[in-house]
Amino acid sequence: MAIAALKGVRVVELGEGVSAAFCSKMFGDYGAEIIKVEKPAVGDITRHWGPFPEDKPHPEKSGTFFTLNTNKQSVTLNLESAEGRELFISLIKTADVLIENNTPKQMKEWGLNYEALEKHAPNLIMISITPYGQTGPYANWKAYDLNAFHMTGAGSRYCGRQGEAPLEHGTHSADYYGAYVAATWGLASVFAQDEVGGEHIDVSCAESVAATFVGGQNIGGYAQDGVFGSRTGIGMPLAAPATILPCKDGHVWMLALETAQWRGLVNAMGNPEWAQLEMFDDMFTRAQNSDLIYTMMNEWTMAHTKQEIMDMCQDNNCPSTAVYNIQDAAEHQHMKDRNYVVELEHPLIGRVRDIGAPVRIPDCPGGPTTAAPLLGQDNDAVFLQRLSLSETEYQNLLSAGVI
Amino acid sequence: MSTKLPLSGIRVANFGWGWLGPVAGQTLSRLGAEVYKIESYVRVDINRTIPPFATGHEKDVNCSIQNHAAWSGNGSVTINLKKPEGQQLARELAGQCDLVLENFGPGVMNKLNLDYEQLKAINPNCLLISAPAAGLIGALKNIRTYGMSLSSITGLDSITGYKGGPPIPMENAYADPLGGIICAFAAVLALNYHKRNGGGQHIDLSQQEGVMQLMGPSFMDYEFNGRIAEPRSNLHPQDAAAPHGVFPCTGDDRWISIAVANDKEWAGLVSAMESPAWAVDGKFSSMDGRLENIDELHKNLSAWTGSKNDYALTELLQKAGVAAAPVLNIADLLSDPHYKARETFVEVEHPLGFKETVYGNYVKTHHADSPLATGPVMGQDNESVFKGLMKMPESQYEQLVADKVIF
Repeated sequence: MAIAALKGVRVVELGEGVSAAFCSKMFGDYGAEIIKVEKPAVGDITRHWGPFPEDKPHPEKSGTFFTLNTNKQSVTLNLESAEGRELFISLIKTADVLIENNTPKQMKEWGLNYEALEKHAPNLIMISITPYGQTGPYANWKAYDLNAFHMTGAGSRYCGRQGEAPLEHGTHSADYYGAYVAATWGLASVFAQDEVGGEHIDVSCAESVAATFVGGQNIGGYAQDGVFGSRTGIGMPLAAPATILPCKDGHVWMLALETAQWRGLVNAMGNPEWAQLEMFDDMFTRAQNSDLIYTMMNEWTMAHTKQEIMDMCQDNNCPSTAVYNIQDAAEHQHMKDRNYVVELEHPLIGRVRDIGAPVRIPDCPGGPTTAAPLLGQDNDAVFLQRLSLSETEYQNLLSAGVI
Repeated sequence: MSTKLPLSGIRVANFGWGWLGPVAGQTLSRLGAEVYKIESYVRVDINRTIPPFATGHEKDVNCSIQNHAAWSGNGSVTINLKKPEGQQLARELAGQCDLVLENFGPGVMNKLNLDYEQLKAINPNCLLISAPAAGLIGALKNIRTYGMSLSSITGLDSITGYKGGPPIPMENAYADPLGGIICAFAAVLALNYHKRNGGGQHIDLSQQEGVMQLMGPSFMDYEFNGRIAEPRSNLHPQDAAAPHGVFPCTGDDRWISIAVANDKEWAGLVSAMESPAWAVDGKFSSMDGRLENIDELHKNLSAWTGSKNDYALTELLQKAGVAAAPVLNIADLLSDPHYKARETFVEVEHPLGFKETVYGNYVKTHHADSPLATGPVMGQDNESVFKGLMKMPESQYEQLVADKVIF
């Protein structure tokens, strides 16, 4: 077995919620050592979010916390106290990377902003992931994932029905997106750290999505022509079929754009008479008649399951897919073939499955190997050994509520 | 302090196409790498044909300004991969690169004689990142998707829509630029691997698995409780905040997002509303009560926001310590003061004589700025790559151009 891709990289995470935790998980999955710094007694907010086994709230059993914090150690520090902040700086002096998602104002108040930390640790790579970034008029706005997502134009442009509220996916979509961006920039800086030295990486979740997703295919045209589109609730209004339709046991993403794909779909549907019209060979003409086409297709989809439809379409070179729910996706034979889902042992939950690593390197695959930590479970090891506090100092800090 | 970009000196051969592949190349280029997209007039990449085009350059494959933001940063060399001489040339170029990226279906690189074994024979340190829809192995490996429908096999579409209603599609491919960034993540991960171990690696990156990370919390609810997540409007994914939604404001299609995660923020909202009777009603005073009565809560809140301007209301609510923000449309992205201050979108001068707007350095770093580029012109780097980097004699270059190998 080869050496893990990030073996020896020492990361401190000072995060609440999804973005910083997912970013440092992307380091921890590949062999970096992650020390997560949490508030004493309370811990990361996601410890209180659930889902919990049998829906019984318990701060050590939150599923959201679990999946975001595998392969990590946990220490507790009260940063409202001067001693807590001093200890944090001592910890940073032993680290290569800091991943955090506090407001710039908060980090400055704590004296833990980049300019301050750089003096103690000139080679530190600090990764800040916030809704709006470190600069600009909204940098210190109070914001959560939902606010960031809807600042990108993604909901207004692309998701929801006309006249109704724009939508986000039912997950922390902007936070995850920003975290992936931050992990990519962070790993590049880690790769070059010996040569290039320290860095402060400023990622705004809103800006990442606004630029690369929404801006990627809208901004050039809008800047030149001054016209822009907005959501329809359909899918792709200018071409058809390109929409989600109901079927016998759920929904299917019906997509056939090129003529060959359309012919494949017609074949999969058993060559019904209505679909034989030559004018329907053109995706734009089909879109102009989408009411008719979707009604006729719907008769067919309702007679079959999502998997049957996907199989029949794919066999006919039509790229339609089943709309898998989480069970369909996670339990699919494909995921078993790829060993995507992993099983871990947690001291209070027991054996529990989790989603595996998003990228696997053949010689050292990576992925979650240890369950999410109990709150403060690594205090002894980190404060007594790594930071060499004396037993007396340590006990005093514990009883003072600093640790 | 150094102003060097972290990937300066890293060279990338990008066989990626569509939206995802070029975003992967762009990401590495913004980190300092030298990136060449390999493409050909034999089969022009579909994203070069997306309207609108630069004014006066209709249907010109070098002028899809709709697409240029997503591609900027990639260089371009044109090689006809249908010809064995083209494949040979591509192998030699890939052999001089640290990273090779592709997002074809499984088996395509083999057909082009560009598979890992052949690349490794030329460069034992080859790091090949393959990013097909569902990976190189497994029951679904040959699945055909567009980025727009790729998310349907991750579960993401099944949790998107109005509460109690059917799934509603995200009307463009969220999974494409995100997948491109994940592909770049895989590439920098491979560089770190190489730094510690030496040698090459072939990374099998499934777009499905990358995007399915967003389903982590839903997976845990399924694992713990057998619960299958469904569309839930803009409600908090774990019911940990209330109110949590998008509410109407004055004007055409204007909205504000408001999220209240604790009682202190709720008190701020109530005071900003000047304590209306409904809001001081006991049933809304605790988070549990607000969650239990969330439909009524949102209805009442909508009635209040409906007569307000989105930006002005945001300012009022921020002052009260409430997480609120205007819901932006495409036009707002260019006029919003925050994106202006961060230079999120910038105008650049295209070499073919027009101005175009691309996204700028959406990630800010303390020490070094990434270079900004326009969308690449097909074959813009042919001469420097073939004659310079690969030291091809002029006569051979001319011949390969005449034979439509370089094409």
